[in-house]
Amino acid sequence: MKWMLVKNDLKRNKVINFALFLFMFFSAVLAVSSIIMATQTFTSISNLYQTAQPPHFLQMHKGEINQEEIDEFMSDYDDLTYWQTNTTIAVYGESLTVVSDNRTYNLSNSQLDIALVKQNETRDLLLNSSHEKIALEEGEIGIPVLLKETYGMEIGDHVRLTSNGVSKEFVIKEFILDSMMNSTMASSTRILLSDEEFNMLEGQVGENEYLIEAYFTETSEASNFQTAYENAELPQDGQTITYTIIFLLSALTDIMTVFVLLLVSVLLIIVSFICVKYTMITTLEEEISEIGTMKAIGLPFSEIRDLYLYKYRALAAASVMGGYLLALLISSLLTKHITATFGNNRTDPLAIVLSLIGAFLVYLLIIYYCKKLLNKMKKVTVVDALVQRKGFEKDQRIKNGLYQSKKLPVNWLIGLREVFFQFKNWIIVFTVVLIAVVMILIPVNLMNTLEAPEFITYMGSSEEDILIEIENGEKLAISYENVKKVLENDGTVQHYNEFRRVRVQTTDTEKERINLTVDNGVNSGAELQYLSGKAPGAGNEIALSYLNAEKVGKGAGEQILLYVNDNPQQFIISGIYQDVTSGGYTAKAQYNFSELTAEKYTFSVNLHDQVDERDKANEWSRILGGAVTVHPMEEFINQTLGGVVKQLRMIVLASSIIGICLTILITVMFLKLRLAKDFSEIAALNAIGFSEVDIRQQYLIKTGAVAMTGILAGIVITDVLGERIVSSLLSLSGLGINKVAFISNPFIEYIICPGLLLVLILLVTWMVMKTIQNYNLISNINK
Amino acid sequence: MKTLLDVQNLGKRFEGTQVLNDINIKVTEGEFIAIMGQSGSGKSTLLYNISGMDRPTSGMVLFGGKIISKLDDKKMSEIRLKQMGFIFQHSHLLKNLSIRDNIVFPGFKAGRYPRDKINQMADALMEKTGISNVADHDIKKVSGGQLQRAGICRSLINQPKILFADEPTGALNSSTTKDVMNIINKVNTEGTTVIIVTHDAKVAARADRVVFLMDGTIHDQLKLGKYGGENELSREKRLSGWLEKQGF
Ligand SMILES: Nc1ncnc2c1ncn2[C@@H]1O[C@H](COP(=O)(O)OP(=O)(O)OP(=O)(O)O)[C@@H](O)[C@H]1O
Ligand SMILES: [Mg+2]
Repeated sequence: MKWMLVKNDLKRNKVINFALFLFMFFSAVLAVSSIIMATQTFTSISNLYQTAQPPHFLQMHKGEINQEEIDEFMSDYDDLTYWQTNTTIAVYGESLTVVSDNRTYNLSNSQLDIALVKQNETRDLLLNSSHEKIALEEGEIGIPVLLKETYGMEIGDHVRLTSNGVSKEFVIKEFILDSMMNSTMASSTRILLSDEEFNMLEGQVGENEYLIEAYFTETSEASNFQTAYENAELPQDGQTITYTIIFLLSALTDIMTVFVLLLVSVLLIIVSFICVKYTMITTLEEEISEIGTMKAIGLPFSEIRDLYLYKYRALAAASVMGGYLLALLISSLLTKHITATFGNNRTDPLAIVLSLIGAFLVYLLIIYYCKKLLNKMKKVTVVDALVQRKGFEKDQRIKNGLYQSKKLPVNWLIGLREVFFQFKNWIIVFTVVLIAVVMILIPVNLMNTLEAPEFITYMGSSEEDILIEIENGEKLAISYENVKKVLENDGTVQHYNEFRRVRVQTTDTEKERINLTVDNGVNSGAELQYLSGKAPGAGNEIALSYLNAEKVGKGAGEQILLYVNDNPQQFIISGIYQDVTSGGYTAKAQYNFSELTAEKYTFSVNLHDQVDERDKANEWSRILGGAVTVHPMEEFINQTLGGVVKQLRMIVLASSIIGICLTILITVMFLKLRLAKDFSEIAALNAIGFSEVDIRQQYLIKTGAVAMTGILAGIVITDVLGERIVSSLLSLSGLGINKVAFISNPFIEYIICPGLLLVLILLVTWMVMKTIQNYNLISNINK
Repeated sequence: MKTLLDVQNLGKRFEGTQVLNDINIKVTEGEFIAIMGQSGSGKSTLLYNISGMDRPTSGMVLFGGKIISKLDDKKMSEIRLKQMGFIFQHSHLLKNLSIRDNIVFPGFKAGRYPRDKINQMADALMEKTGISNVADHDIKKVSGGQLQRAGICRSLINQPKILFADEPTGALNSSTTKDVMNIINKVNTEGTTVIIVTHDAKVAARADRVVFLMDGTIHDQLKLGKYGGENELSREKRLSGWLEKQGF
């Protein structure tokens, strides 16, 4: 009997029930697929890390090493569980040529430092997509996924290595997952060779570089270890990286993507739910007289409620199940990128379990909603339902006063008055537009910020044309002289600043001695953006990076005790800035610490306007040789942020498309439902002399006004909360950034995006309203 | 007397069924016509077609000497707004507006007079129909009779030449019906032409002429002459006798 009722109802109200089904279905698809994606990402990443075991501390080193000294130091250090030194061969991109079936290309344009390696025994392993340790035979080569994606390489392509007169050809056997250098934010990448061939090529095709790796009982021990290591004068001609940074560099972009997608899903689920609620209210309103009849013939409330609940249960169960199945089907599509970067293409059982729970929660929520709504039926009296055809909505107060208007045309009066006095009716369109605007503008602003040239000054670098770095090494002093000579004698140089990096000590919040690397120079810190305070002045002033300030637990204006060659010296913290360079732990001072030896020199160079930075950088790079790196600033930014920007561009595109589709979809659905509800009113308007053009205009005014308020609210929310949301996400990442001021493009934010949305909504309204021509208005007048 | 509405050979088809067939009526200015007939005989359809709310499939309708049956929606709407008034079985007031706002907005739309003047006219109409006390009320909070009177006020705000009514008393009780019909008669005596569709012989008895529709054609007509009050009973008798003859 109940089933019959359900069946009849489904047949009778096809459109509305279908809409309801769709929205429930959407909610389920979204909830389930985002759960699958999130779990898949996190399990893939953590599984990769468990199997590959990247080091907790990594020191890169160019040049000679003395392994015995390292072993001695390592074995004396408590809490150290394992250490190893990997030898790698640095090769240039030019040396690698790929021959595939239909094309041949060279890797010379790669921004990455390429290193040839052999597989490790047990830790820091290079894995295949099923997270298994890769073992290569002679003649085979393993290419990192990153390069595969950049160049579109395939298994079976040939790779020719030509360097220093040695030439050798390999076949790509595997694409490797590198837990340490998985993203474009890492500046190096590793190519795997078989042990035999690696040993054969060592010392022949390029300089050796070493990866000194250490493992501890706790990963957090890494930063203490770093201090000890640096003070022990062990090989340190290269970057130092700790586990957290390794993890962040490799996984940050993907975690961020998942985060944004989760955010978008949550917003979409909210929208779907609003639609479910709205659609249910509409259905029940249509059936109000039926409910009245049932009440009139004496059916108790609980039975009436159960009748409807039965229907919604059936509908919800069907749509949630359908949604779950679809989500499972498309999940492999959604997790494709994750699988490619982090491997492990099996769907994790945890993902299945969690998504089932998610789907069930969606179902429960829908039913809960239904019950709440149906309980309102209790209050509907027979008279309300049968005689006055009153709906569930609380009596909305009618605002008298149109007659007082002096000028505004009637179509505007009718349109605007409804929007202003019955805004509740339009809340769904308002919310959707607002969400769409936020969804589009936050990623757009973030991308704009990252792409803006000023951005680098938030990030700890000054905004110059060329950056020259001399890393610690035997040639430090000579290289320094060389660079000075080149810069002094080059007419294209407008001006340059030099910074000298020294190491002093201070105490952290637990009174333990820690190292502090200070870049000093006349202009040090002058061009950065400060979170608080200002750049260091002459004398005993020092500016700290945000992460260092947290470590020492001090703020701008406070005193800090520095140990310079073990002699305590009072300084004042002039300001705090954010930094992503050198792991975020830096300091700046004009004070020159002349008694300390330099560890690194950095020159930021400004060229005369007409000079090409790239050419100049290449020229100097050739003159200065291997110990000095010369980066055109733009390239440097691209290299560090390029991957993120690329990913963000995808997100911007995706969220814009989703936002726009969502707006269109909901506007159309809403208008269709509204038209069905308003039909007799429209017919009456037409009868008393309002043409279809007038009626269309009224609806255009309504949706236009609602859209505009939604857009405005969206912009305000983006401006007020957007920076905070993004900043708190970034500070969670521990990269050393905790505040991002959006550098927005006002043209896009205030004109293009709102204009586009508004035009789209008006267009959609116009098209929906065109359909009223096809109806015979008059035949609706007595309905 | 001048002919206001001239219907010539009007026919209307709905997907295969000929609902109206070869209808010819001339309505002179100031006349009051009632259309009667069985349910489904095509009364409403006829009213919609001669008032330009729908378009006939054959024949034509002249209003004030001009062919209106071929006008587009925009021009036709303008004529309906400025020269015709409509009353329906249900008042069809806009639910988001108060009684007063509902009455004035077509006046504002037509813009024939300044808005102040239109407000005064609305006040006068409400006074005349006896709904001044609920003028500023919500339309959900007044009775069916009051709503119908508000509908009449709205239809008269632009001083139409002709008033069309489709069963305006169909949802009212007999005493309210009488009030409403008194108003309509008064409007008619003041010069507005009236065409009313009704089932109710008492209502039709108020008209000058009754047209009986059967299967989409005019079966017969009865001239009653102007309604005057003193000969009310005999009018009703004449009409019901005639209606019996029509098989009503
Ligand atoms: N839009 C339409 N499409 C198809 N057929 C229609 C349409 N409108 C009316 N009809 C048909 O035309 C015929 C006359 O309908 P109409 O509404 O004019 O009758 P009526 O005389 O007003 O009846 P009632 O007294 O019940 O109101 C009916 O058979 C009806 O089914
Ligand atoms: Mg009818």
